[in-house]
Amino acid sequence: MTRTWLSAPWPVLQVDAEGIISQANDAARSLLTGAAPGVPLDDAVPHWLARAAPGAVARGRVGESLFEAHPTVDGAGVLWWLMDVTERERVSEALRDERRRTAFLAEASNELLSSLNLDRCMEVTARLAARHLADAALVILPESGHRYPVAYCGPDGRVVRENLAVDPGQVPGLEEALRGFPPMPSRWIDPAAAPGWLAREGLGELGSVVVTALPGHGVPAGALVLLRRAVHAGFSAGEEVFTRLFAARAGAAISAACLYAEQASITEVLMRELLPPRTRRLDGVELAARYRPSGATALVGGDFYDLHPGAPGEESLVVLGDVCGKGLEAAVLTGKIRDTLHALLPVADDHQRLLSMLNQVLLTGERNTFVTLVLASVRRDGPRVRLRLTSAGHAPPVIVRAGGRVEETHTKGTLIGMLEAVTSVTDTVTLDPGDTCLLFTDGITEARGGPLGDELFGEQQLLEELEQCAGMPPEALTERVQMLASEWAGGGDQDDMAVIAITAPVEPRPASERSPAR
Amino acid sequence: MADPLTLTTTPRGGHAVGIDVRGDLDHATAGELLEAATAVLGTAALRDLHLDCAGLGLCDSSGLAALLVIRRRAGEAGVRLHLDHRGAGLDRLLDLTGTLEHLTGDPAPPPGRTRDAEGVRGA
Amino acid sequence: MTAPHDGLAVWADRLWDAAVAGDEYAAVDVALAALDAGVDMETLLMEVLAAVQARVGREWAANRITVAQEHTATAVNERVLAALAHHPIARRAARAGESGAGRGRIVVACIDGEWHAFPARILTEVLRLRGWRVDHLGAQVPTPHLIAHLHRTAPDAMALSSSIATRLPGAHAAITACQATGTPVLVGGAAFGPDGRYARLLGADAWAPDARTAADLLAGGPPPRPALDRQAVDDLPHLDDQEYTFVAQSGPRLVRAVMDGLQQRIPEMASYTARQRRHTAEDVAHIVDFLGTALYLDDPELFSGFLSWTAGILTARGVPPRTLLPALDLLGARLTDFPRATGMLAHARESLRGDEPESEEPAWRTR
Repeated sequence: MTRTWLSAPWPVLQVDAEGIISQANDAARSLLTGAAPGVPLDDAVPHWLARAAPGAVARGRVGESLFEAHPTVDGAGVLWWLMDVTERERVSEALRDERRRTAFLAEASNELLSSLNLDRCMEVTARLAARHLADAALVILPESGHRYPVAYCGPDGRVVRENLAVDPGQVPGLEEALRGFPPMPSRWIDPAAAPGWLAREGLGELGSVVVTALPGHGVPAGALVLLRRAVHAGFSAGEEVFTRLFAARAGAAISAACLYAEQASITEVLMRELLPPRTRRLDGVELAARYRPSGATALVGGDFYDLHPGAPGEESLVVLGDVCGKGLEAAVLTGKIRDTLHALLPVADDHQRLLSMLNQVLLTGERNTFVTLVLASVRRDGPRVRLRLTSAGHAPPVIVRAGGRVEETHTKGTLIGMLEAVTSVTDTVTLDPGDTCLLFTDGITEARGGPLGDELFGEQQLLEELEQCAGMPPEALTERVQMLASEWAGGGDQDDMAVIAITAPVEPRPASERSPAR
Repeated sequence: MADPLTLTTTPRGGHAVGIDVRGDLDHATAGELLEAATAVLGTAALRDLHLDCAGLGLCDSSGLAALLVIRRRAGEAGVRLHLDHRGAGLDRLLDLTGTLEHLTGDPAPPPGRTRDAEGVRGA
Repeated sequence: MTAPHDGLAVWADRLWDAAVAGDEYAAVDVALAALDAGVDMETLLMEVLAAVQARVGREWAANRITVAQEHTATAVNERVLAALAHHPIARRAARAGESGAGRGRIVVACIDGEWHAFPARILTEVLRLRGWRVDHLGAQVPTPHLIAHLHRTAPDAMALSSSIATRLPGAHAAITACQATGTPVLVGGAAFGPDGRYARLLGADAWAPDARTAADLLAGGPPPRPALDRQAVDDLPHLDDQEYTFVAQSGPRLVRAVMDGLQQRIPEMASYTARQRRHTAEDVAHIVDFLGTALYLDDPELFSGFLSWTAGILTARGVPPRTLLPALDLLGARLTDFPRATGMLAHARESLRGDEPESEEPAWRTR
């Protein structure tokens, strides 16, 4: 039998049935210095190989290197072929690491990108960092109101959100990380020096603490502190690079959430000013208003309304308007008009004069946009309601009588804000109990759609529908009108829609005589 | 849904220029008409600007605002504005907003059955 | 403590009378008297108020009340609900929910195009009573507004309500969009089917048939946050055949074609008023809408169910539903290239011939 394996470049050992080495090639001898014919396997090779069963591949270390031992059986015993797999193992370990990190970064990106909410982003960052990068993690944002927003996640995976009055100067590198300047890699700090709000109870002895900046969109978003227990290994260079990749994603998400929150709060403040008032009664007159801005994204559009209650027994003023244009520009003009009208209330007994003065005020601006309005001065008169109605370039209101008759009003006037002089004609109407005066913007009548897709809802159809609405309370009436127009428009483009119903109560029992809840 | 706006500017001999307005005049397109008309108003010795509205589809409040600005700029340039071949929809809008006479020189029709502030209706 | 069941029925009857009469004050008095008599708030909301509102829908379907009465009764019920929301019991609960000790935060909204706000209002009040902080966004909320709110507030869950099946494609988009922000979505309302089957189909994280069940479900903690790699397109692989897309996009054209055909087949349509003609066109448009929705969900029963219900509605109004079958035929003639649509039309035709029209749940209310 030719022992070709004796010259093989891999270490090969032949072992007989008693466990004694019967042959060892050169490669085997240079790897395992004691391996020689006649030596018991136990004395010459590491334990894992000595105990290996001849039916399966065994693995283990020889010195620094990792080997696989492949057995083949020949007549004289077992041949163990030893293969150095250190490099292969290192590569596949690196690949596994890389895959794990890629998967983690993908998960992190997914979670971080899904929310524009600051608290959520901080929580997700702390949780992911604690789970994948350390035993515990703390996200800290730049100071806000003398406190630092913090999200801490411990080994149990629970995230705590706090606002802490702490001094980041206690933690080396934290101030710089929060400032985002000067730029620096992750900063190692002495675990023993970590203050209690970092090294929290339940963590045990800390092995390493690292501070990393969370870079935002051009501005520092905050800092990430990773904490590892002493029993765990410290951070390798590869992990540090990886931590920075994670920090970049988290920082971008937190920064976007901050910008979004800022925008949202600015919009909210502006909108609060611009949102129409809510009320149901003006000195014994029932009233309901509904407003739906066009476009899916706008909260405020070009339509608006306002209520200016008068003293008891006096006239109240209801205004419905439609500013030409859309978006923020229209909203700002709306605000200006509402303020001006408020200032002009003392002349509200003369609609024409009020409109002329408003026109003069608006003419001082750019003069490339306008507003159309309906003014309704409302006064309770016994069981009836007296109305003075003036349109300034706007669709005239409609009266829905309790008995089912629907009447158009006869008021007409010039739009406001573009012509030197404006004129108007006022109509006077009396509502009996159960009668309603309906004010609406053209978003209702010009809703385009219907079953055939491209027809206007139209004034005629509105009047017909209103005939079915006699005697409805004003909320029901306004909802009905808006619903009909919205459904007519279907999913198509919808203009702003505003509707106001002013109703003479059937049963004159003012709200003040009753308590809504006992 | 909306018809795109197309504008065709044609010299009409002498001191007149016509702009053929086709499609919808709305928030998205009003600026184009304003720009085209303003360019024409810069022409030397122009006396008449004709906007041919025969092909005009919808005209919303932004469209009306554009017409009013063009009217003002025309006035400042000493040019007479003509809104030719107006359809019923445009006339209704101009009438409702009290701008018919201002934009066209035609007197507005009386508002409904005109009532003054003293006229009392209802019960 | 809860009053005996027949006791509740008496309160419901009294509230019904006041609501249909449009007497807000009497209605509020009934509700407050029920509380004084020992009916607890949640029971009052669920078994008196919500029960009366459900009855409003049934009575309308059976043509026992007019549209005006329906809207009036609904408005009165909403006022009662508003009054109860200001009752000390409700305010105490709401304050507790908004304090740090509350259970968490839930956003309640109706999907875009949904006008029936009442069930969502009831849910809001019940959840507040159970200690949740609730942001009530109301009816008809465009999805972008919803998403903006979720980003701003990061609630524990989103509750979406829809009563009309034809809003389900939009509801699907809303559900997916909410989940993409990491917010679990609970859905409810008649649109999702009596057993919630469409809720599952559209990937909602939870479904509840009514406010109380929803509150019970949430009491065990909000549903887990949804997986972020979910794609709406995986829910409904049948959409690949483009049948839904075609029917949805060519809706008005289909309606016009059916109307033209009906005018030839039904001579008396020549004497219809503009209003009657419009109503017929609207009925046809609803048929097309429901066909589209049935194609979206791949559920022939949805379509035939709607037609049976429509037949019931028409019959209750003394209108013979004779336009329905020819409308189906005319629609079928336009959709010969679409096997799923053709199958659904055939199925609906069969069931329309077969069954007696019924009008049970107002799941298909359209006006």
